[in-house]
Amino acid sequence: MITARDVRKIYRGCEVLKGMSLDIEEGENVVILGASGSGKSTLLSVLSGLERADGGSVTVNGEELAAMSDKQLTEFRRKNVGFVFQQYYLLDHLTVDGNVRLGADLVGNKDYRDVIGAVGLAEKLKNKPSELSGGEQQRVCIARAIAKKPRVLFMDEPTGALDEETGRAVLDYICRLRRELGLTAVSVTHNANIAETADTVIRINSGKIVEYYRNSSPKSAYEIGW
Amino acid sequence: MVVSAKDGLKLVGISVVSFCAVFVCTFFINYYIDVHALEGEVPEAYMPIYDAQVAMSRLVCGITGGVLGAIVVIMLAFYIKLYIDGNAKRFGLFKAMGYSENRLAAAFWVFGLAVLVGACAGCAAGYAVMPAVYDNMTIGELSVTIGFHAWLPFALVLLPSVLSALVACVYARMKLRGGALDMLKGKTQSTEKRTFDSGKPFLAEMRRAVLRSNKSVVFFVAFACFCFAAMVQMSLSMRTLSSELMGGMIFAIGVVLSATAMIMAVTTVITRNSRNIAVMKACGYSVKQCAVAVLCGYVPFAVLGFAIGTVYQYGLLKIMCDIMFADVAIVPDYSFDVPMFFATFAAFIISYSATMLYYARKIDKVSLKQIMLAD
Repeated sequence: MITARDVRKIYRGCEVLKGMSLDIEEGENVVILGASGSGKSTLLSVLSGLERADGGSVTVNGEELAAMSDKQLTEFRRKNVGFVFQQYYLLDHLTVDGNVRLGADLVGNKDYRDVIGAVGLAEKLKNKPSELSGGEQQRVCIARAIAKKPRVLFMDEPTGALDEETGRAVLDYICRLRRELGLTAVSVTHNANIAETADTVIRINSGKIVEYYRNSSPKSAYEIGW
Repeated sequence: MVVSAKDGLKLVGISVVSFCAVFVCTFFINYYIDVHALEGEVPEAYMPIYDAQVAMSRLVCGITGGVLGAIVVIMLAFYIKLYIDGNAKRFGLFKAMGYSENRLAAAFWVFGLAVLVGACAGCAAGYAVMPAVYDNMTIGELSVTIGFHAWLPFALVLLPSVLSALVACVYARMKLRGGALDMLKGKTQSTEKRTFDSGKPFLAEMRRAVLRSNKSVVFFVAFACFCFAAMVQMSLSMRTLSSELMGGMIFAIGVVLSATAMIMAVTTVITRNSRNIAVMKACGYSVKQCAVAVLCGYVPFAVLGFAIGTVYQYGLLKIMCDIMFADVAIVPDYSFDVPMFFATFAAFIISYSATMLYYARKIDKVSLKQIMLAD
């Protein structure tokens, strides 16, 4: 589904991605592991079409992202990508309902409130982000991504800002959702324990892939350490 | 440390409006004093012209100076609110460390510097144009001599600067109320809970939300269009009613004021919504959709501002010609100039569209990566 070959990215004269190659199959749960500054968030941005690579190629379902115009790239993200940000990036003057509808309206999803219910926020429909806890804000961010019915869910440290209990709950919810909807999930994290829930683990360091392996029996969010 | 002098001097919009207000007041108050001194020397035949010039000086000073002075105060409050909202976490930290609200508010006196800079320049410009404009404002054959009144720079430069610094401190004190923790979490006083209208599509709801959260911007957009309509049309009428020079001055002030207010308003909207725009773009919304959501809600208010400005200038000139200058034979009849209205309206549509197009291009440049790096 996603193929990256010799992907390079340069920021302010510094090479952040130094020729990465990887393959992600449809329905797969991939975790990209790496320390802070290793280039994992940049890799996620490039794979999801948020940014263009400076070298190499990224192909999604046979479509080369580098060959797309800005308009086509926007269209690609609209149809294929759901993004969960570490900092949530909720629209602070809109309610929970409004934030989730940001995603739902793009694909004409009228049942988006089911997603809000599924993340356990049905009671907080009319609350603004400032009235929610960190865990709740992260769940709104997940609901927003899911509500647009993406083919691939990209997650940047989805549990990075959460406490253990909330983190496990969010992780468990994402795993269930992924299975139910047959989603492909790509997440980046610095927490090696979370990698145990993945089908495939890619460990990166200083912009290079240093380890690439498959888990024979992925664990659930409640079976891993934290 | 709390607010730097650089922050105060960055408020170009306030300096521009202060400049216009002080420029107009310096010139007309000085003229009023100088022409008033001639009262006993004016021949009976020229008394209506004398009365008209005195009345006009009073009216222009009162209306233009008063309105622009009020706008300076509103702009000051607007910038202070923006500054406090934008730096809520920093102020929360100061409060958490033990800084009192009074101490923090006192630092806002530097916002008065913007008024001082504008007022100084306005006063100097007022004196600079005096010789040329005095030549056009003679009482018949009696010319008016320029006099220097030392208290005028004090009253028009120092006093407004000190007052605006005081207003800034008092308003900042009001806006800094609230818990340190709330400010650290980024909760502002304007956070409000409201019932969600589920019938509206996201883009329409976003448009309304942007309007609701930027109410002061609505005022400045309307004000910019008001200035454009009122002063451009008035300046064209003034060329026939008064003089080319007077018309040119009003035209220049109108264009500068409206451009300043519009740029300030739209820049604020884009800056405050850059994160929202970036998220929308990341989700797959096009630049056009983002621009519609963020900028299009202001169109009705822009048109309303233009309409009020048109009515205002017509009413003002009608009052001046029909009531104040009724006894002055040289003042021609004034009626609403329809072709000029349509020409101004066309110029308004072109300028407004060009501004929005320019800012839509700015939206195109907003990237989520920049926002993520900034965080």
